[in-house]
Amino acid sequence: MNHLSYLKEQLDAQPNLQYVLSSHNWSTDFLRFYHSQTNYNISKDRFSIGVKMWRGKKSYAFAIDQPDQARIDATLAEALGIIDQLSEDPDFVDLESDLTLAAPSKVPNNIEDIPLQLKTQILQELADAAQPHNFEIYGTFICNHSTSRIINSNGMDKSSTGSPIYLEVKAVHNQSQVTVLETWGGEDFSRFHLPTFKARLLDKIAHCANPVVDVDPGYYDVIFAPRCIAELAQYLAWGMSARAIDQRSSYFEGKLDTQVFPTYLSITDDPEDKDIISQDYGSDGHIYRPLKLIDKGVFKAFFCDNYYSHKTGLPKNGNTGDCLRIDAGDKSLEEMIGGVKRGLYISCLHYMNFINMKETSITGLTRDGTFLIEDGKITRVVNSLRFTDRIERIFKNILALESTASVIPFSENYDTFSISSVKAPHALVKDFNISSSTHTI
Amino acid sequence: MKALIKDILNKTNLPDVTFADVRITLTDQESIWFMNGFLRGFGSSLGSPALGIRVLVNGCWGFAGSSDLGAASIDKAVHTAISNARSGSRFMQEAVSFPALPATQAEYHFQPKIDPFKMDKAEKLDYLQKLAKAIQPQGKIVYSTVSAQFYRQEKYYANSEGSYSHCTYYNTLPQMNVLSADGNQTQSRTWPGDMSAGRAGFELFYQHDFEANTQRIIKEATDLLDAPVITEEKADIIIGGGHLALQIHESVGHATEADRIFGMEISYAGKTFVKPEMLGKFQYGSPLVNIYSDSSDPRGMGYHPLDDEGVPGRKVDIIKDGILVDQQTSRHIAHMLGLEPSSNMKGSFADDFPLVRMTNFCLAPGSGTLEELIASTEHGYLLDFTKTWSIDDNRNNFQFTTEIGYRIDDGKITGIVKEPTYFGITKDFWNACDAVCGKEDWEYYGTFHCGKGEPGQAMLLSHGTAPARFKQINVSVNI
Repeated sequence: MNHLSYLKEQLDAQPNLQYVLSSHNWSTDFLRFYHSQTNYNISKDRFSIGVKMWRGKKSYAFAIDQPDQARIDATLAEALGIIDQLSEDPDFVDLESDLTLAAPSKVPNNIEDIPLQLKTQILQELADAAQPHNFEIYGTFICNHSTSRIINSNGMDKSSTGSPIYLEVKAVHNQSQVTVLETWGGEDFSRFHLPTFKARLLDKIAHCANPVVDVDPGYYDVIFAPRCIAELAQYLAWGMSARAIDQRSSYFEGKLDTQVFPTYLSITDDPEDKDIISQDYGSDGHIYRPLKLIDKGVFKAFFCDNYYSHKTGLPKNGNTGDCLRIDAGDKSLEEMIGGVKRGLYISCLHYMNFINMKETSITGLTRDGTFLIEDGKITRVVNSLRFTDRIERIFKNILALESTASVIPFSENYDTFSISSVKAPHALVKDFNISSSTHTI
Repeated sequence: MKALIKDILNKTNLPDVTFADVRITLTDQESIWFMNGFLRGFGSSLGSPALGIRVLVNGCWGFAGSSDLGAASIDKAVHTAISNARSGSRFMQEAVSFPALPATQAEYHFQPKIDPFKMDKAEKLDYLQKLAKAIQPQGKIVYSTVSAQFYRQEKYYANSEGSYSHCTYYNTLPQMNVLSADGNQTQSRTWPGDMSAGRAGFELFYQHDFEANTQRIIKEATDLLDAPVITEEKADIIIGGGHLALQIHESVGHATEADRIFGMEISYAGKTFVKPEMLGKFQYGSPLVNIYSDSSDPRGMGYHPLDDEGVPGRKVDIIKDGILVDQQTSRHIAHMLGLEPSSNMKGSFADDFPLVRMTNFCLAPGSGTLEELIASTEHGYLLDFTKTWSIDDNRNNFQFTTEIGYRIDDGKITGIVKEPTYFGITKDFWNACDAVCGKEDWEYYGTFHCGKGEPGQAMLLSHGTAPARFKQINVSVNI
């Protein structure tokens, strides 16, 4: 009998106990490189089980890394001794009851399928391509593999497997430190096309030949690269949760079915989009299905798990905003840049933080390729800049969206390293508030 | 465990392995979280094992980590670490190298005054429950939390040079927070602020005097709803220790991690404006600014007798009389810079690759009390309790917002301002420092959440500081 089955048997034997039992078997192969050479190679694996249990409205949780029967017995005995001493959470009603199973899918093990030798060959080819331009490459080449299972006392028993890949390459000029970024993410490595990746990286490097300049603080028309729009949407989505409503920090409080953004802005949390790294279930096991968040500018739904559904009265779903798609528009990137008299092209954002979450006020910086647009053309590299603005304002000021959307991978860098993606187009935004310059690249 | 870790080390004893180290950690963590007066989360993870094996082969690092300390897993990890280094060395230009160090043996076991893992659970929960009830929603307070995180780690380290250490550390992170609302506006106040963690057990709650501050944060959060904002372009600001700890952390601590000079962190955390040629010459701050890294001070969470590559804990001046004089380094980077290694290499858990990390990173005390400093300020603001922070990837341009600012006129506090925001360039800011308070106001602050590296690691570390004053800082930001 495996540990999970054993633990389930022990929990089932307890009177008046509700529980959620989960296991997570995670591993990564992680190559980090700098100055066009290996920094370090990491292989890492971790197996853990977690239990959250309720007796009435009293709850206690524990996790065991690398469990064995003796530790399970000891930890469970301690937990059962604690739970009745605890005070109640009056808002707890019941556990998730959605038993819908995701359609079975075949997930590769990319740790096995992409050996280190292949990774270093790819990186060497990219390094060789950047070198004649006096650029070196820095970044990460990651393959993860994880298997998760969630069981609860309402009869839920669901498993899911994922094996995302994340390649992030920053090309940095040896003298000026001007930096550009190219990334690829997904689960199907056959969709990675090295010549295309290399061509895109070299195209970005080509924009860096002109001198670096500074710009004054002020309001600028900007073209945001898909990575920026994706990240801004992720921050905006924090306010789209029932939890944020409950904590009185949601910008969207009282705005359901209200026109909040221009009609050409639609955002969906869509695990079924073939380009996006998928999710089968939400954190409490509810099936993860497409959820329209912003439909033609109208706010339509909150992410809401079972607990907060009971607490707020909002309909529950399995969504967590890990599969965001911002719909493409109708302009080519050339048209969008061509329409800017004097503005900025911003490739990446950095160290963004809310000043006031409810107001969506933020500050952050540009990074890895900020360019001046003059008379409809990208002309010069600009030092990294600080912005202070409201995401609400930024999205309301979108003037045009690119006609194609790109998939942007992101890594969640705390706890067990996870990889997700967002699909987004370039966006033209008016009056973006640049509040100061860093005077550096 | 000592025999096991040495046995693992012996397995790495191969001709092409020029250096190896092995770590094992056993970690206990407990978290308790009250929301709006009610217990919402109580959980623990006890005895979590982790193993990390790092080897240097052909001048390239290879690493394997696991939560499984079984024999088969250990053999696999040894094999994988060596294989990773050999594979990685095919994509190398300059081999990693550093001088050998003498073998060091160390034992250290911290004992908190009140062990949070052994104390009576009812007593612990009752205390926190009373705090939670005291700040639960009332009047314009619409949301409140009380939280406690307790951490205990037992750590074993051994390397191929014969060094060995066995240590036990306890750390605690206590916090409470209230949110006020008025229409669409919200304001918040925390106690004791964002940098409230420390090397201690449950006694840290008593040291921070939580009970005496519940009504204070309720009143201030409520008053902030009607408070003005700063309207000047520039102002003199006094920064309280809790927030100054973060300013030190972001604009000096990370900036002087020397792995950033060589681009080892470009892909995530970023680089630094500091260059090797600045050492000994660069006027980082005013002559009052003395900043040091001290992993030999057991009062802070950054204390260790040996770091995670066998360098004994030590105090290193980073900024002396305003001049940049040293860096936080690994053995490899110190060798490249011609410096002595500073004992700053740490991994959060044994299965994390060690990185250059802050330990106890401190601003040395000056003279005088905070009261005297306020009294000597004609007009300005006392800012404290971090609300938001941001800094560029060269650690050059920062912008911070605190929860509250106290207006100073003619040497007295005359009112409060909401969301005071200031920004600047690191060098200009530290050169504008015209006063650092003395020992009587100098304290350790700390965080559990310093993120760095990939895969990401959250480090627990401390900053010692007293309040300090900075002249004519930019405080005008149009939000």
